[in-house]
Amino acid sequence: MKKSRKEKTGNEDQLFALEEHLADTLKPITPPSELVVRMRDRIRVPQREEIASRIDSWQRLFLVFGGVMSGFVVIVTIARAFFYFVGRK
Amino acid sequence: MPDIEFNEEDVLNRAAQGESEAFGLLYERYIDRIFNYVYYRTGNLHDAEDLTARVFQRAMNHIKNYTDRGVPFSAWLYRIAHNLVANWHRDRSRRQEIPINDVPILPSKGDHPERNLVRSQEEDALLRLIRRLPPERQNLLILKFVENMSNAEIGAIMGRSEGAVKSLYHRTLLALRDQIGDQKINLDGE
Repeated sequence: MKKSRKEKTGNEDQLFALEEHLADTLKPITPPSELVVRMRDRIRVPQREEIASRIDSWQRLFLVFGGVMSGFVVIVTIARAFFYFVGRK
Repeated sequence: MPDIEFNEEDVLNRAAQGESEAFGLLYERYIDRIFNYVYYRTGNLHDAEDLTARVFQRAMNHIKNYTDRGVPFSAWLYRIAHNLVANWHRDRSRRQEIPINDVPILPSKGDHPERNLVRSQEEDALLRLIRRLPPERQNLLILKFVENMSNAEIGAIMGRSEGAVKSLYHRTLLALRDQIGDQKINLDGE
């Protein structure tokens, strides 16, 4: 009976000591201030949702699509003209 | 003091309506805690920075979905952090691990600077053992010791009852003690 009580006390002491070591090891740390600023700047970068929300109206989407297609046609025309003049020689 | 004027419910509502200044207040309030959590879970300063930024990015993008159901905002943030850290560990398991000894030492709050220069071998050994524990036990120890949270608060974050947290904590201590015994680590530094 005495022995088991002694063992129990020993176990509790061990766990208490372990808790003290854990408290010494796992301490709150302060992130460097430049790191906090850097992270804040990163968060301000527009996200996919934000970019998607900018083109949610069909008028704007139509304009963007039209702009891209027009640009593509201009590039193809210039490339064909270049090929026509340079390729003939 | 800014804390006196800080009404979290009001700030959360404003942030949910897209007010970036309100989200900035939440960022200032929780950045240290989330960074601490991620840092101890990853043991890597660069990844801690990257993951912490992603936690807040995700929080900002989904803050409209956050509804106060008795779970504190911090618990919601910790859950985001927990998921991102879990993904990080999954990706990392395919790559080589960085030993805990390579982890840079950051200043502890309220500590003497010289104490931070040398982390004792015993602390290193204990950190290594902690990082081998299952994720939920690591979470528990970090929230308890680093964040100084009560069992009830930890329960709210981990989705467990206060009693379950207490029991898990006791089992974690026993497991750690056994591992220390198995590996013959002397925590008293003698």
